[in-house]
Amino acid sequence: MRYIDEFRDPRLARKLVANIQARSTRPVRFMEFCGGHTHAIFRHGLRQMLPPTVELRSGPGCPVCVTANTDLDRAIALAKLPGVILATFGDMLKVPGSHGSLQTARAEGADVRVVYSALDALQIARDHPERAVIFLGVGFETTAPTVAAAILEAEAEGLDNFYVLSLHKLTPPATRAILDAGEVRLSGIIGPGHVTTVIGSRAWEFLPQDYSVPCAVAGFEPLDILRAVAALVEMAEDGRPAVVNAYSRSVRPEGNRVALEIMQRVFEVSEADWRGLGRVPASGLALRPKYVRFDAALAFPVDPGPTREHKGCRCGDVLRGTVEPPECPLFRRVCTPARPVGPCMVSAEGACAAWYRYGGADV
Amino acid sequence: MCLAIPALITSVEGTTARAEIGGVERTISLALTPEARVGDYVLIHTGFAIGVVDEEEAQETLRLLEELAKFYPDEVEVSQFPNLPISQSPNLPVSQSTNEVH
Repeated sequence: MRYIDEFRDPRLARKLVANIQARSTRPVRFMEFCGGHTHAIFRHGLRQMLPPTVELRSGPGCPVCVTANTDLDRAIALAKLPGVILATFGDMLKVPGSHGSLQTARAEGADVRVVYSALDALQIARDHPERAVIFLGVGFETTAPTVAAAILEAEAEGLDNFYVLSLHKLTPPATRAILDAGEVRLSGIIGPGHVTTVIGSRAWEFLPQDYSVPCAVAGFEPLDILRAVAALVEMAEDGRPAVVNAYSRSVRPEGNRVALEIMQRVFEVSEADWRGLGRVPASGLALRPKYVRFDAALAFPVDPGPTREHKGCRCGDVLRGTVEPPECPLFRRVCTPARPVGPCMVSAEGACAAWYRYGGADV
Repeated sequence: MCLAIPALITSVEGTTARAEIGGVERTISLALTPEARVGDYVLIHTGFAIGVVDEEEAQETLRLLEELAKFYPDEVEVSQFPNLPISQSPNLPVSQSTNEVH
């Protein structure tokens, strides 16, 4: 078992679709929180397989996309400081801030490096003791423990030139914010499988308890996603919302305790700015006082100047699930992966990028 | 960003391991999954194993799907998972072949 092909079996997928069709009697709309799900759904053509009663809607689960312009502008200003090396994941480079991107800053001479892991940034710091190395930490609960582990390693080694700009965000508060806003009617949530591998399926119990909304945590192969949809249809039809773990080979009710402990040792919950959702209380992660010397925002105070939003860009609405990408006036006409206006077109997890790539010629 | 790929651990040394992903070996950190052993599949995210894949649970899931399959002897027609063009409408028209249960 290699845990990929087994969960792409077309025969079992057909049975799941038959089950969904047989059970679904009234229109439902499910939000897939995670941008990884959005891309898997498009790549495998799952939308076309579902009956017309079942609609899937993309959510805010793209860390690059939800990074607010104020934070992005700060990162760009940090990258431009003399002597600084700014390291981050590749997706962040092309995201346009108020006045340019990390990529344009690099073209103008800033030392911006793409890394695969926070540990790569740590290695850059070891290799360049005379430079300040700032890791731009973006990502949800899946990524935050890895950055926390890198900080603990830097502390253990006594590395004094390694810093983190923490833009990490938490997924349950964002889901709450969308449901509280009530702009889009949702009959269920497809829970993010890898976030939930860390935080545990119990973290989603508030959905049925507080909102009467069912949640099915899903993996990223076609059978995983269809199984979650089947579970959501069943719960919606029966009016019995609960949390179903449809990714039990990876997700445990309590999550990954070691990863959670490391994340909580280094970070504390803070408010955070989200593109589309604005400032959401208790939805971000800031360094705890004990690790404050790693905080790039405190070590290097910069004034990024006034922020500016991109005219006409509806990324924020796409992230809240109130519109779909083709409803944006810029989509495909002005905003393309080669010349993106908003981050949802940049990121490999962005909804606009998925629609652009797989949406077909008629979009 | 939350992409994670199953990989087979081939050797462990302290908190790092070598893992095989699609025929390629790479070094990963086990800082978040100290319980991982040689022969385990782990989910790799940005150079870290974030969870150990539970084979029994995977087998159980496939067994449950086979059970479900018995209830639907007549299949809807879905050849495979192609990169099909998708229309613009949020309520997508489903092609006849996938929409009918015989």
